[in-house]
Amino acid sequence: MIITCPHCGPRDLAEFSYKGDATRTRPGTASGDLAHWNAYVYERENPAGQHREFWQHTGGCRKHLIVTRDTLTHAISHVEFPPTKAPRRSGA
Amino acid sequence: MADRRSFVADPVIAAHAASPLQGLKRPGEFGALTDDGPGVFLTERTGLSIGEVASWKDSEGKCRVAIRAVAGVMLNVAPGSGTAKLEINVFNFAPGRWLVAGTKPDLVAQLAGSVGEDGSVTDLSHGRVVIRIDGPKSRWVLSKLFAINFANTAFARGQGLATMHHDITALVQRVGEDAFDIHVFRSFARSFWSLLRRSSEEVGYRID
Amino acid sequence: MTSHRLTSGGRIDRTKTVRFTFDGVRYSGFAGDTLASALLANGIRLLGRSFKYHRPRGLLAAGYEEPNALVTVIEQGVREPNIRATELEVFDGLVAQSQNRFPSLGHDLMAVNGLAGKTFSAGFYYKTFMGPAIGPLKGTRFWRFCEHFIRRAAGLGSAGTVPDPARYERMNAFCDVLVVGSGPSGLEAARKAVAEGKSVILCETEAALGGTANWSGPDAASFAETLISGLRDNQDVRLLNRTTVWGRYDGNTFAALERIADHKAKPATGEARHRHWVIRAGHVVLATGALERAMVFPGNDRPGVMLASAALRFARSYGVLIGRRIVVFANNDSAYETAAILHRLGAEIPAIIDPRPVVGDWAQSLADEAGAKTLPAHAIVGSGGDPELDSVLMQPFNLETGKLSGPKRGFACDTLLVSGGWSPVLHLASQAGTKPVWSDKLQAFLPPEGDDHWHAVGSCAGEGIEPPAPVFEIKAKGDKAFVDFQHDVTADDVRLAHREGFQSVEHLKRYTTLGMATDQGKTANVPGMAIMADALGKPIPDVGTTRFRPPFTGASLGALAAERFADLRPERLTPMHHWHEEHGAGMMSAGLWMRPESYNQPGETVEDAYLREARIVRRGVGIVDVSTLGKIDIKGPDAAEFLNRVYTNNFAKLAVGKARYGLMLREDGFAFDDGTTWRLANSHYLMTTTTANAGPVMQHLEYFLDCIWPDLSVNLTSVTDQWAGAAVAGPKSREVLAACVTGTAVDNEVLPLMGIVHGKINGIPVMICRLSFSGERAYEIYCGAHHGQAVWNALIEAGQPHGIQPYGLEALGALRIEKGHVTGAEIDGRTTAHDLHLDWMLSKKTPFIGSVMLTREGLTDPDRWSLVGVISSSGEKLRGGSHIVEGTKDAPGRSLGHITATCLSPLYGKHIGLALVENGNTRIGTRAFATDPVRSETHVPVEFVSHHFYDPKGVKMNG
Repeated sequence: MIITCPHCGPRDLAEFSYKGDATRTRPGTASGDLAHWNAYVYERENPAGQHREFWQHTGGCRKHLIVTRDTLTHAISHVEFPPTKAPRRSGA
Repeated sequence: MADRRSFVADPVIAAHAASPLQGLKRPGEFGALTDDGPGVFLTERTGLSIGEVASWKDSEGKCRVAIRAVAGVMLNVAPGSGTAKLEINVFNFAPGRWLVAGTKPDLVAQLAGSVGEDGSVTDLSHGRVVIRIDGPKSRWVLSKLFAINFANTAFARGQGLATMHHDITALVQRVGEDAFDIHVFRSFARSFWSLLRRSSEEVGYRID
Repeated sequence: MTSHRLTSGGRIDRTKTVRFTFDGVRYSGFAGDTLASALLANGIRLLGRSFKYHRPRGLLAAGYEEPNALVTVIEQGVREPNIRATELEVFDGLVAQSQNRFPSLGHDLMAVNGLAGKTFSAGFYYKTFMGPAIGPLKGTRFWRFCEHFIRRAAGLGSAGTVPDPARYERMNAFCDVLVVGSGPSGLEAARKAVAEGKSVILCETEAALGGTANWSGPDAASFAETLISGLRDNQDVRLLNRTTVWGRYDGNTFAALERIADHKAKPATGEARHRHWVIRAGHVVLATGALERAMVFPGNDRPGVMLASAALRFARSYGVLIGRRIVVFANNDSAYETAAILHRLGAEIPAIIDPRPVVGDWAQSLADEAGAKTLPAHAIVGSGGDPELDSVLMQPFNLETGKLSGPKRGFACDTLLVSGGWSPVLHLASQAGTKPVWSDKLQAFLPPEGDDHWHAVGSCAGEGIEPPAPVFEIKAKGDKAFVDFQHDVTADDVRLAHREGFQSVEHLKRYTTLGMATDQGKTANVPGMAIMADALGKPIPDVGTTRFRPPFTGASLGALAAERFADLRPERLTPMHHWHEEHGAGMMSAGLWMRPESYNQPGETVEDAYLREARIVRRGVGIVDVSTLGKIDIKGPDAAEFLNRVYTNNFAKLAVGKARYGLMLREDGFAFDDGTTWRLANSHYLMTTTTANAGPVMQHLEYFLDCIWPDLSVNLTSVTDQWAGAAVAGPKSREVLAACVTGTAVDNEVLPLMGIVHGKINGIPVMICRLSFSGERAYEIYCGAHHGQAVWNALIEAGQPHGIQPYGLEALGALRIEKGHVTGAEIDGRTTAHDLHLDWMLSKKTPFIGSVMLTREGLTDPDRWSLVGVISSSGEKLRGGSHIVEGTKDAPGRSLGHITATCLSPLYGKHIGLALVENGNTRIGTRAFATDPVRSETHVPVEFVSHHFYDPKGVKMNG
């Protein structure tokens, strides 16, 4: 399998580490909702077809990517970096 | 960020420095040599100051300017772009990250000063070993180790990238017509050097 | 034996004689010969014994599809089995052996298996050896009894046990167009791609480029020659001969094996034997050609029965005439031309037997040219000769009904050439998941239409294939009729599988093992499917074909794996590595790192050495290389906030110039890693991790910054290799530092526990943090890695007056057990902070990774395992991994936990350990047993104590 890293270009699968389902939403850092946390940590859809996954380019730029992959054919239709947010710029 | 003390590098003190390749760099010509001379030339680039500049998510441009101020080279926005000169090499190997290697002993401190609060500078002068491979067969030898397209059309002079050979992480920059600098973690340097020698044996190689 | 070599012709070099040995007999051939052609030229036709029935076998084919003639090549004592004689190029000194014969090829005792044919039919193994033992001759237990004998009698060649001295290598390649196969259509495809300005790699499995052009006449040969020389001169083209593309993977990535030195007596300097190519292609052109199929009839495996195309190749490529008197049996026109050519070369062709009712004009004219009588509406129904063919039997045949009738007639002949039609080699298309399409006209599966990534050309696409009559099997009574020669699968086996209820081709394949041998059923698959379809009463396309999987032909394990093992396995060495070796350290691997185990003095065992080393640390001062600890530079305005979230304890309030012990959890609330993190500046921390977890911790942190908290401005850089580290530990450690550190004081005021100072040793800048893993007063001294050896030397020198000695991992382990420090053995992914008595590190105010999940019921159950110390009450040694039980050796009862680490305590002289035990907290002072029933069979009484064996209040390390 070849994944086209937005920075490094097409690279072999061996350079990437699978980092799990990218469709989950993590509860807020301050959330104390155990049920929500439990769902986030353990529950997965495992779809047959299009799926959004985190892959890290550990053997390259080390950035995480969101890869849209068909789990039936391995065809990758889209690769992007996770969305960035404005830096929080707390008074450090 | 008032305290910059910790950003200041410890320059490599030649008198006390030991290359991890000590004892392995016997100069000479080895392997299957032909009348055309060695297929590749292998050298360890010593006495370098190496710094990694990393921007924040919104300060890439400022870091590029800051590097330019120290290194005196223009940097392109395109991923992987860089410049290779005699005394300084710069290349972008990840989004917002550059490797700067040069012969100035205070290079990293200068970078830290220039980048200031627009990013971070980390001294890697002791942590990386830079091996240069040059010669007509350099691409052939490198292709045994890395799944990278080394063709001229795919890998421009000055350009750099990050890749790996099994467990060995490497940064590679094309520094000449047939010349590439490979930056590997210091602890892997002996293994990598041996691997490079073995891979070069078929085309004949020279160690200077 | 008479020579079968023609006086001229072939692509062999008749000026170069090559001498080789086959089954201990010396023969000669010419450069350019394969073992098969050279043996044929010497009149040798019996080349092996079959897999199950040990039937004598000769050559069926001339190329990689050959199922019978597998040999073992022996070079410098290394045995490489299952090499096809048709691909093995002879060289001076080649030593090859036939396979699967016992005791010799000519006289095989196991051939009696052939008489017990019913016993060994399809499913024999399943039926006989699976399931419960009912009676003495059935079931799994019977298998255990029989296995040795069966493995000896059945199977293919055996692998050797001598290390393989050959060199293997990998090569990565990229191209716009990959062309597989260098026959005329492959060459033409390459030419076209080059003309369009594309970069091209062309792979040919054989030694000579040109494919069929090498044996289909002078016109084709000169056409190919022109194209080849044009491609050879082009720098955008790489021509790879002796290179088999054997696998196609996602993203148009191809695996190919180049056999660089197999045809040489000795590889050149630095030359690999095999090169494993990984080719990423924009587009692939499959010009893989088509393979001729055999016909299935009784006795179709007798040596002397051969594919017509093979006879042509042996004649045209190697100048070998396969026989003197040749009968042809073909269901299509392609073999007629071969008959005419062989006749021109001197063979007598008494008859061409054709199951079709009418022979066409073109075929008839070729038969006339061959001087052959044509016998349409006839079929071969048997063969004779022992072991080699001397006659065939034929009978009138009705193509419509498939029935035989009328008198049988015999023909004396030394060779029977068969042609059962042609199958395109569509493996690489099928491997990518495309479904083959059945062609009624060609009676073959064709690759489907290509797309942006691939297409097929030439006979692989069905072009130029002679359409055969739809007949695959002649159902006649008599001898066994083989479908898969290599796995000895007969037509009756296929029908038996059908009678036993196997309907899907995939099940048929696995039950009968049809197509599962090293040739992957190249000549057998389509006939097998056809017989199955016939049994099912369905058309062939409804039965379908199995999906092909890599490898197309065998790939050497050396080429795939050698570069990751033995001396090529990379090692990580610390800057002081050679000092350790020079000072008697036995080095042991810790992940990829090499670390000193202990510095054994003359006469010392490892145990003696570590006890001495650890006692020196407790009483005086020792030094240990800690360069391998993971070190991560963490910088940025949000670094403090980030660490507060990552660690269970607070790092935002840590003062600059101080270190703190930190614990990380996973998202699920279990403990992940521990280590100290140092605040070097307001927004700069240096995190240390355990050696083993450096990589995973880095990835964990990167994940949160990239994916979860992209608003945090924090940069991470691995600086593990930037810093050399030495820990100086023991009551006298401060004196050692005081003697060599300049630029800073190191007393308790300036440098208390967890304090950090900057100074110099011998003019080299160092950073010193006062930390203790051993429980003694101790310091970790860090400097630039290139200076590591110099600083180490200076520390040793400064420590000489205090008797400093280096200590290794064993002593380090013993010291930490005595101190009750946890490592990866306890933070094993199943333990919580509570289990490890680290709950004091859990912040109650600030949320952190895992803070909510660790409150789950199961993680707070008071009955959970917790960390305790154990002491052997009997003085017997404890074994790591022993289970804690309450019962006797004979009736131990259930496991209450296990021992994670053990040592002979340097301090107490007793065998002690750490253990994770149910209700561990409440067991202190009680007794149980540590049982190790499988390995050492020990059952040792133990007493539970606090895991702090030594200085629980930390007076020593603070002092």
